[in-house]
Amino acid sequence: MRTVKTIGRYLSVAAVLAVVMLPMYWVVICSFKTVPELTSPTPTFWPKTFTLEHYTRLFEQVPFARYFLNSVYVALAATGITLVLASLAAYSVYRCRYRGRELLYRTFISIYIFPRVLLIIPLYVAFTGLGIIDTLLALVIVNVTIVAPFSVWMLRAFFVGVPLELEDAALVDGASRLQVLVRVFLPLSAPGLAALALNSFLMCWTEYLFAVAFLISDTNKTLPVGMAHFLQQYFIDWGLLMSSSVIIAIPPILLFGLAGRWFIKGLTAGAIK
Amino acid sequence: MPRLSGAAQTECVKPSADERGNLGPSPSRDGSRPGRGAAAGYARRLRGISGLLQKDPYFGYLLILPLLVWALLTLIYPLVETIRLSVLDVGYVGTPGAFAGVSNYVRILAGGEFWRTLRVSVTWTALNVAFQVLLALVAALVLNQEFRGHEFVRTWIILPWLFPSIVLATMGKWVLDPTLGVVNYLLLSSGLVERPISFLGSPGIALYAVTAVNVWRWFPFFTVIILAALQTIPRELGEAADMDGAGYFARLWHVELPTISEVLKVVILIASLWAINIFDAIWLLTRGGPIYKTTTLTILIYYKAFQEYRISQAATISLVMFVILLAYGVGYLRRVMKEEVAISA
Repeated sequence: MRTVKTIGRYLSVAAVLAVVMLPMYWVVICSFKTVPELTSPTPTFWPKTFTLEHYTRLFEQVPFARYFLNSVYVALAATGITLVLASLAAYSVYRCRYRGRELLYRTFISIYIFPRVLLIIPLYVAFTGLGIIDTLLALVIVNVTIVAPFSVWMLRAFFVGVPLELEDAALVDGASRLQVLVRVFLPLSAPGLAALALNSFLMCWTEYLFAVAFLISDTNKTLPVGMAHFLQQYFIDWGLLMSSSVIIAIPPILLFGLAGRWFIKGLTAGAIK
Repeated sequence: MPRLSGAAQTECVKPSADERGNLGPSPSRDGSRPGRGAAAGYARRLRGISGLLQKDPYFGYLLILPLLVWALLTLIYPLVETIRLSVLDVGYVGTPGAFAGVSNYVRILAGGEFWRTLRVSVTWTALNVAFQVLLALVAALVLNQEFRGHEFVRTWIILPWLFPSIVLATMGKWVLDPTLGVVNYLLLSSGLVERPISFLGSPGIALYAVTAVNVWRWFPFFTVIILAALQTIPRELGEAADMDGAGYFARLWHVELPTISEVLKVVILIASLWAINIFDAIWLLTRGGPIYKTTTLTILIYYKAFQEYRISQAATISLVMFVILLAYGVGYLRRVMKEEVAISA
């Protein structure tokens, strides 16, 4: 009876893993197949011949490195700005009390009821007026807007746990409020900032809607927009899609490996209490 | 929460003892919740320390100001601008429009296009929420068991959620392709179907196919949240249930589900708000086709603005959508959650 239970347990876990992993396995494997094997009607579950041609083509035929750098630039810049804005705002909301705080907090949090698509039109008009449409700056600005509210909420789980005494002691020693915040408080909540940075990077890295609406010239495209071209209506370059999918997935996976633990803590702490 | 000084003062103290992340930092009116005692103890401790933290009444305002200004410029201004555009008649971006009054609203609400799209949106959202939450629940229950490597698996299960939609679209299109797709290959070779199915090209199937792909991406994310809630169940509770000879489903009904019911409510709300806002997965897989069968409100707004160049109509539809979402969100919080909560997604 015991053995049956154990077998059932491992089978059920294996089933869940299969659902999640198999499609990913399929794409990775296909990125190493030669074109004839890729387009044969009989799929092979292991490539007959390994080839790197789709990876080399990626850098020869398309400004892939350019797209990649654009994506990195947007994600890093937006994450940096979000870190500053959201950590200051979160300290204010979770550590201070003043009139209107409650309302401000709720407003920030409720922003998610905003349909994102509602922002596209007016921001497009405004950015065109400012002359920054079709620049990466436009995308950085809009990404911060999207990511900041969630970031403030996520920091709660980390900020609330920092003991007051340390800040107080520093104040007694004559440090200014700002010094205490920057030198004492923020270092203590480093895991929270790491979780925020990871989430923000992921959001920017995967953002497609604003990127496709705001970016026109080829040199300014981010990865998802550049990749969408391989998915033309009448001709789909499967090889390039597979190889670029593998590459675009690497940075998120690496970063999640570094800060994933904190990210999940921040995500779940708020939801389950 | 004890008041420490005048309300207009900025006193920096720990937020209310109410540690439920989905509540604002306000003191809870429900005195029975645990943590109340902690707050009182906290206030006592605060009196014990120097009180310097309570000086500087404007520090709190100063810190929130940057984000506030940012939000005003990039959220509140766009909202006002959208309202302005909706009462004009603007075609291309940047062209001036004549005043149109409510004619855009009349045209949208009287035409069949909007209602058809709304129907698709509601179906899409309902399907997504149902399958995402159901699968997430099953997966969370499975992964909540003790097995070797459970720590690793419970963290990395979120993997699909880390990928950009373009990867999702690549996978979906590739796996479901009529001639090259592995799904059709398996269906054909097992004799279940006679000829390949064009999943994304058939009007009756496309919405379900896109849903399947989207669910695959999102359910792991909710699995992680539900798992965290399941982990709060004390071992003794489960053991006690087992001692009483309760079967698996009896235990599920009396122990697990009541424990996670609150989290499920939050998850359903978040899932629905996200599903209705989804653009990229649908756009990349079907572009809203075939014959508008996967055109949700988000797709329609994008299409009107950037393919048909009817900015004013697009603005009008997005406002109507905003009102619908607001009504849904507020209604859900009042009715289902039975309280004033501020949800983040």
